[in-house]
Amino acid sequence: MSTWESLLLGLSFALQPQILIYCVLGVLLGSFVGVLPGIGAMAAISMLLPLTFYMSPEAALIMLAGVYYGAQYGGAVASILLRLPGTPQSAVTTLDGYPLTQQGRAGLALFTAMISSFTGAMIGIVVLVVLAGWLSALATRFGAADYAMMMIFGLVAASTIGATRPVKGFAMITLGVLLGCIGTDVNSGAQRFTFGQTELLDGLNLVALAMGLFGVAEVIANIRNPERQKTAARISMRSLLPTREDLRRIPLPVLRGGALGSFFGALPGTGSTLSAFLAYATERRLSRQPERFGKGAIEGVAGPEAGNNAASITAFAPTLTLGIPGDPIMALMLGALIIHGIQPGPMMLEARPEMFWGLVASFGIGNLLLILLNLPLIGIWIAMLRIPFNYLYPAIIVFLCLGVYSVRGLTFDIVLVAGIGLAGYLMTLARLSPALLLLGFVLGPLIETNLRRAMLVARGDPMVFLERPISAGFVCAIVVLLLLPLWRLWRRKA
Amino acid sequence: MKQSTTMHLVLASALCSFALPASAQDDWPSQPLRVFVGFPAGSSPDVLARVVTEKLSERLGQPVVIENRPGAGGVIGIQQMLVSAGDGHTFGTTINGPMTTSQRMMDDTGFDVAEDIAPVTLLATSPLVLAVASESGIDDLEGFISAAGTEPDALSYGSVGQGSGAHLTAELFAAEAGLSMLHIPFTSYAEVTTSILGGEIDAGFMAPSAALSFVEAGTMNVLGITSAEPFGQMPDVAPIAGSAGLPDDFRAELWNAFIAPAGTDEAIIARLNAEITDILGDPDVQEQMLGMGWQVAPGTPEDMAERIVVDTEMWGAVIDRVEAQ
Repeated sequence: MSTWESLLLGLSFALQPQILIYCVLGVLLGSFVGVLPGIGAMAAISMLLPLTFYMSPEAALIMLAGVYYGAQYGGAVASILLRLPGTPQSAVTTLDGYPLTQQGRAGLALFTAMISSFTGAMIGIVVLVVLAGWLSALATRFGAADYAMMMIFGLVAASTIGATRPVKGFAMITLGVLLGCIGTDVNSGAQRFTFGQTELLDGLNLVALAMGLFGVAEVIANIRNPERQKTAARISMRSLLPTREDLRRIPLPVLRGGALGSFFGALPGTGSTLSAFLAYATERRLSRQPERFGKGAIEGVAGPEAGNNAASITAFAPTLTLGIPGDPIMALMLGALIIHGIQPGPMMLEARPEMFWGLVASFGIGNLLLILLNLPLIGIWIAMLRIPFNYLYPAIIVFLCLGVYSVRGLTFDIVLVAGIGLAGYLMTLARLSPALLLLGFVLGPLIETNLRRAMLVARGDPMVFLERPISAGFVCAIVVLLLLPLWRLWRRKA
Repeated sequence: MKQSTTMHLVLASALCSFALPASAQDDWPSQPLRVFVGFPAGSSPDVLARVVTEKLSERLGQPVVIENRPGAGGVIGIQQMLVSAGDGHTFGTTINGPMTTSQRMMDDTGFDVAEDIAPVTLLATSPLVLAVASESGIDDLEGFISAAGTEPDALSYGSVGQGSGAHLTAELFAAEAGLSMLHIPFTSYAEVTTSILGGEIDAGFMAPSAALSFVEAGTMNVLGITSAEPFGQMPDVAPIAGSAGLPDDFRAELWNAFIAPAGTDEAIIARLNAEITDILGDPDVQEQMLGMGWQVAPGTPEDMAERIVVDTEMWGAVIDRVEAQ
């Protein structure tokens, strides 16, 4: 079957009324829960899971996938307007999206986020269709050594993001890596920094960390500083429309972000987080005025949004063709298939072409729906900022607690989010970047696990990092990144 | 605050059960049942619990609500069940780990299996299969054992974590076969699979359902299974027991069970055991479970209590050996 025929098969499958309706339901729900702080795709999909027992497996997958990528659109809204990212990848969107809101240009930021998300997703779909086989093989080519070096590269490349001074950036990443050490050591099973608390055995709850550092901290900061509450009044309808200058700045970052996201998305683990951070770092490095970043540079919204949406599409390649879920949400979707007795794996494309290609076609339909739905909604989202803060903030805190509680159902996590929020506020005062802390927190444990695994497999020989071609490539890239500032300095002197 | 209300409920219902010992089971269940599962929604133990509780709810005429409290290999789910215990409507499902090996692997699980847990019934068991990449050229157990040789750590194997069933099974196998293999811990069978296919590690004891599609695609070879009998999902795979010089009683199975907090009325446990035994007798349920890699294993509460004792001893001996290395 040629790619073209497969795609037609997929389209005819996804356009059946009883499938289409679940796709619509999924993206609507996803878009809705994505906006609510803390209640993300994870909570929504967990709640929908029992319902999928009574649906066909194809319809179930298409609906759950709709929630998954639909939540990315909604997540951008909360990040840009309220500085409330539910995931590390949308934390990147706050870096420039929220300053734009404070300058009264929330409309532009939201418009850019929507268009970039849509274009990114489309790039992801094209890559998935053309390279499905290659993408699924990619996951098995990456060994522990390759992952370790790739993630270290990601940390180094992103280390100066959103930080006023490099040393502050490194400090935040290090703190994030240290917080990531909390929990059970994979290799020995020993407990680290858990203080005997069973709740900490699996580490700090990521949602609690993100919600505390951003959401709670922002609410406290806004209460302390009434000036910040006045932003909404300054938004005019005219600010919605991008200027010619803005329009010139958006397309290239979107294309680059989409390409980065498509590649990293196909690697299980941290695809969408890495691609959002790397897309941001790339734009900042390529920009002629890097100093604009962090103060409302539109490229800083466009690149990462395109990146994480492209990644959320290509991530389905390893999930469905190898049965390797990229993140806990993907694992949940696999669960929905396993309930129906379908074990995703290498036979999936041949055994159930209508499921795979139907899903791919539904990505196209779903994203089209999302952009048509979300563009007109921008005005309504912005109106939300006009809600008096004495109503808005308590509501935010309530939703945030609900969201954190929904992950594991433990009151411990709610106490945790309050404590982290306080720390996050102190960090805001010291102008430290919580986004980098999150990146360190997510990548740190993965780097450690893969580094130690690679060393174990190689029976303790560190040369493994240079012998494997992919790993060696990333080692070279890290060396170049570290030497670049020194070279610039030397050239300036000479 | 929620904790203190729960405590009040616990105290109140404890008092009630003293005052009215007989009437407790007559109108049971008088409210929805809560079943704690120590794994996230969509995971294998969760799905298994949902298949059973859906039928249970029809039979009892009350909703049965699954409460996912994932973490610490299923230990948090049991802790949370015990916090809510005392109303006669709180139960849980668990895998074998928290009932047998967690006490050894963790500093403090916060509960004692013998004192705090009342077995209801085993639900299902799952054997593990020894899988290698087909590129390795190894296609039977003798081949594997000779490739592992007598040199320590000549072959490496992956597991789903330190002290996991996959790890301990591999160590049991190595001890019985007189081998020494290098253990590489991962966190999921998906990761182990990728690493085996990529040629990074050599082998792994895996859930049959996790290996099945790769065996069908011809990229993995399965060398043997840890159950006493061949398993329905992979009927062609011969048991390891009695082949390639391994003892006839070699057996290692993961299991899933329905449990209640200690102190739950005997009559309630008997009723639940009867209903669940019936549910597990349904051919549709059996087929559904087999599709997910589980073989139904109904029995009496006493059978389950005995299984806990036997397995705790068996795995305890394996842990002793691992720790001694």
